Formats: sequence, C-alpha cells, structure tokens
Amino acid sequence: MAVVQAILDGLMIGGVYAVISIGLTLVFGVMGIVNFAQAEFLMLGMFVAYFAWAWLGLDPLLAAPLAFAVVFALGAALQRLLIRRVMKAPEVAQIFLTVGLLIVLENAALLMFGSGFRSVTTPYQTSSLQLGPLFVSVPYLAAFAMSVASGLALFLFMKSSWFGRAMRATAQDPMAAKLMGINADRMHMLAFALGVGLTAFGGAVILPYLTASPTVGAQFVVLMFTVVVLGGLGSVAGAVVGGLAVGVIQSLSALAFPIQLQNLVLFVVFIAVLALRPKGLLGAAR
Amino acid sequence: MPGTERKYGLGPTRRHALALTALGIASPFVLRDAVAQGKAINVGVIMPLSGANAQFGINSRNGVELVADEINAAGGIKSLGGARINLVVADSTSTPTTAANVAQRLLTQNDVVAILGAFASALTIAISEVTERRGVPLLTMSFSDQITGRGFENIFQVVAKASAIGKAQFDGTVAIAAAAGQKLDKIAIMYEDTAYGTSQAAGLRDGAKAAGVQIVMDEAYPLGITDVTPLINKLRASGAQAVFPVSYLNDSLQIIRAMRQQKIAIPAIGGAAGYVIPDFEKGLGEFSEGVLSISPANYDLAPELTERFRKRYGYFMVHEALEHAVCMDVLAQALEQAKSTKPDDLRKVLHGTRFEGGWTKAMTGGAVQFDKTGLNTLSVPVMVQWRNKELVTVWPSQVAKSKAIWAS
Repeated sequence: MAVVQAILDGLMIGGVYAVISIGLTLVFGVMGIVNFAQAEFLMLGMFVAYFAWAWLGLDPLLAAPLAFAVVFALGAALQRLLIRRVMKAPEVAQIFLTVGLLIVLENAALLMFGSGFRSVTTPYQTSSLQLGPLFVSVPYLAAFAMSVASGLALFLFMKSSWFGRAMRATAQDPMAAKLMGINADRMHMLAFALGVGLTAFGGAVILPYLTASPTVGAQFVVLMFTVVVLGGLGSVAGAVVGGLAVGVIQSLSALAFPIQLQNLVLFVVFIAVLALRPKGLLGAAR
Repeated sequence: MPGTERKYGLGPTRRHALALTALGIASPFVLRDAVAQGKAINVGVIMPLSGANAQFGINSRNGVELVADEINAAGGIKSLGGARINLVVADSTSTPTTAANVAQRLLTQNDVVAILGAFASALTIAISEVTERRGVPLLTMSFSDQITGRGFENIFQVVAKASAIGKAQFDGTVAIAAAAGQKLDKIAIMYEDTAYGTSQAAGLRDGAKAAGVQIVMDEAYPLGITDVTPLINKLRASGAQAVFPVSYLNDSLQIIRAMRQQKIAIPAIGGAAGYVIPDFEKGLGEFSEGVLSISPANYDLAPELTERFRKRYGYFMVHEALEHAVCMDVLAQALEQAKSTKPDDLRKVLHGTRFEGGWTKAMTGGAVQFDKTGLNTLSVPVMVQWRNKELVTVWPSQVAKSKAIWAS
C-alpha cells in the first residue's frame, strides 16, 4: 500500500513538474534557446498569486490565470527587448543573456519583496481525501488538476489553432514558415511568452502548499532541466512523461532510501537514460 | 561629494579640478578618522540579510541595533570617555564562503573591535575561522556543538549548545506529557541536514536513549525541500506518539500542513528556528495554536526589556533578536570594564567576568558567564507554546508563565 501511495503522490507532484517544464521545452523547441532564467518566472508567478491573495483575497488557484497573463506580457516584452537580439548570436551569448536574466530577476525580487518566505492561507490547505488507506492531499490534487487542464489547453492550442500550427511550422523550419507568410519573429515572441507564462501558472498553483520567496527558483531549476532532458529536449509530450517520471522516481526512492538521497536516485536514473538513450525518452532526432 | 566641486572651483583649471577630486575621494576617510577620534567604537555585525535565512538575519540585526542605540543614547561607553558604539553591518548572505570573506573585510578595512553574528551555525563557524586567526572576539547565539567544541579562544556563545537544546526539547516534552498523564514510548525525529539540525537531532537521540524511549523514525532531509509528503507518509506509518521536527520556516510550514492533511494529530514539538517566529503563526493561522517548541530564550521572561523591541519594530522580540541584543550588551559591559578596545583585553574580560544587569536579565540564567570554551554556562533552554498569536514559556516550571496544554 505504501508503494501505491508513493506512486500516487509522485504522479501528483510530477504533473506539476510537467507543466512548469513544458514552458522550458516550448521555448527551446520553437526558438532553439535554452532559457536558464525559466525557473525565475515560476517565482514571479508565485508572487503574482501571492499578491492577488494578499490584496484581492483571490485564491491562488483562481489567480493562476492572472499570473499567466502578467508573466505572458512580461515574457513578450523581454523577448522583444532582449532575447530577439541573440536569436542568431552564438550559443554562448544566449547562455550569458538568460543566465544574466536569472540573476537580475532574482535580485530584483530580493530588492522589491525582501527575502522572507510568504505563504497563503486557504481553507483546503490542510485537508485531504481519504480513499481507504490512501490519502490524497487536496492542495496537491488541485495543483495536479490545474496542471493537467493547462497542459490540455496548450495541447489543443498547438494542435488546432492557427497560431499553434504556425508556431509548430516555425519550429520545424523557420524559412519555410516565412515563405508561407508566417511572421516567424512574432511566433518566437508568442512561444517565449507562452512558455514563461505557463511556468508562472505552475508557480501559482503550487503556492497553496509551498512558500513564495525570491530564491525559490533555485529549488526548481535543476529539476526542470532534468525533466526536460529526460523527456527529450524540445518535445512537449516528452516534458509530460519526464515530469511524471521524475515525480514518481523521487517519491518511490524515498521508500527505500533516506529522503536526502531522493535526488541522487533521480540523477542516477537520469544518467542511465542519457547513456542509453541520449535523445531522451520521447526525443525526436533534431 | 565629487559632483559639487565645480561650484567652488575658481576658474576651472586642471590643477584645481585634480586637487578637488583628490579631496573628494579622501574626504570619507578623513571624516571617518575624525569621528574615530571623537570616540566611536566599530563593532562588526555580520548577518544573513539575503538568501534563505534573511528573515532571521534581519531580526537579529534589529536586536543589536536596539541595544546599540540605547547604549549610545545613555552616553556610550563611559570608561572610554563616552565612546559611541558604531555598528558596521554586513550581509553574509546565506553561504558560508561569503560570510568568511565579509568577516575578513570588516577586520582589515573597518577596524572592528569585535564581531556579532551570524544566526545560522554554518555561517558562524565560517566567520569564527577568521576571527580566531586574527584574535578578535566573536559573540554569537548560533548553537551548533561545533562552535564551542573546537577549543577556540575568541568565540563566545550566549546560549546553550544544540545537543543540550535537543536534549531539553526531549526532556521538556516528556515532562509535559507526564504532567498530562501520558507516558511516551515512541517518538519520531525529522531534521534538516545542516550543522544546526544535525547537532540538535543528536541531542534528541541522546535524550530518548537515556529515557529508554524508542525512536521509530529518524530522518534527515535537505534544506529547501519542496515536497515533504514522503516524510509525512513515513511519520504516519511509524506510529509515533509525538514528533520532533527541527527545521527553519519554509519546511516547518510544509510539515505542519501536511500533518494536518493526513489527520495526524500527535503533538509536534518544534526545534526553535522556524517554529518561534511571527511568520509561523501568520503562515498557519489557527493550526499554529498549541504547537510546542524548544527555544534558547523567550521574550515573556523579561517583558520590561523586550516590549521596547515590539514598540520599535512592531512584532514580538524573537529569540534570535533577544540573544543578539544580549551579545551586544555583554560586549558593551566588557568594553566598559576593560577600559580598552584591544581584542586581547576584551577577551580576558569576556572570559573572566560574570555579566549581570541590563539585557542579561532576559536570559534564563539571569546573567551571562562564559567558560573556557566560550559557552555561557548559565543559560538553559525553555519550552514555549503558541497561544493566541503569542509564545508562552511553559517549561521548566521555575520560569514557566503558564501550564502547557498537551493534545495527545
């Protein structure tokens, strides 16, 4: 039963890992840029949701679309002002830019919000559903459900809307997309904004069980990269599989080993996957 | 001010400009020397003002500032001609390497007579390596056993050691449970794997072993943990009658919430740090009511002193602020007695004196006296309980302000 419980917990947390990582993989898939600052947008999403709760009394789950919208706009502006300039630059310049962005965002948050931990109080925060011997934590379940919903929404958007198809076309071949009358530049902006917005959305939905602080990104950045590379860099479905896998591996490893070794077990699996299947679980050859 | 020179320059020749610029650059140093002759004593304050432990660092700095301002308002250090205390505050961030660098800088550039800091044991240990080499006193309220356990001569710790605090956390709990008619047989320990968590857990383990109580769960977890569910699953399966979490704020909120989710109603007895600050109550609301914690000191033991803190900063005087205030007061008393700012003289006075009066009255021993290793031998930890947004001292009975409520 402990195993079932662990898998259940792992899947729920993995769903959240998936949605925050989809943003990262989307940016890479469409623009070919590895955004090291991605986890900082998770932090921003948490703060938007926190202030929506503190000032407007909005539940973080309801504030998640707001967090998405605010960070979407910020992402669009950042892409226009900064990222666009390094699109054709050497990879090193792109890395410097996004790492610089990480440092600036984190320190700006420290200046503005102070370094304390901020936490919301919601009625469901300390409740759980009991299914026989199994416990399903309500805040985890809510975060999972919201993640699945946003993941599905993205899937439908990419699959059937004109913008989604245009974005995929740009990802496959920017030149051909341009010849078909697609504004590749605008698609890049949309992809970046959508990517960071989605990560911010994930930040908002985990706020009921975590605390917001300017340095929270550091706890997630390595996880996000693990998820994305495990699933296959640039593949949205891969991020979903990777996220769930990371959640379950972490949760199961805690059954057999001390919780301190959680990430050790994760990285052993990670290295094994990379050695045997360098493209990642669902990675297509790029 | 380099920007204002031109106004006073008569005919902006190059020579004028150069001379004035030189003066502008030199003026802060000249001025500082002038102030020093007007008798200011530089005291270094190194605290984590950013990063994971920043809240505690800010609290601590507030405590030191309060006392320094009071001393200056009352006429400074009288035996040194009314010299003022001048605090040189520096941010150690939450990384030990930075803490050591900052200490080095204060000693070489700011000429500090002593250093106060730095809340987290890991930071204090890094700073102490520097102060020990330079022979400058370091006064601290960090309490990992390593701090006084290395035979250093220049470290002074105003509170009990982590292992003693861990043992008191256990003993106090047993006493409180017994008073409520429950005998503890099985307990669970969970702690974050830093210098502080590890030493305090060792104390808990010793206490349990001595009392013949079975430890059914004993788990370390990394600082900054984002998912405590596996820990709480283990706790539920363990059948413990009480749980002893030793953690900072972020993890303490997650642990208590996850326990409530899984309807685990056994008492949680926190290990100070995250359990005894206003944010704990703010984050948990009604779920904080009745949570017990060990604490090296508590503000309700000397309200006449600690209310001054609440008046100035708007929240109760958390223990790290209180103990750092005591550090500052003890240093001021030592300066007064030594009639000197030389580190060697200060060290001698700090080692050989029983400090009484002032803020030392807020400590459990009512005074401060350091032994050979630099440990204040008079301080004993207390158990506190959250009651209606305040922390009430409930153990040991000599100092308790109220009887503990045990919810088993």
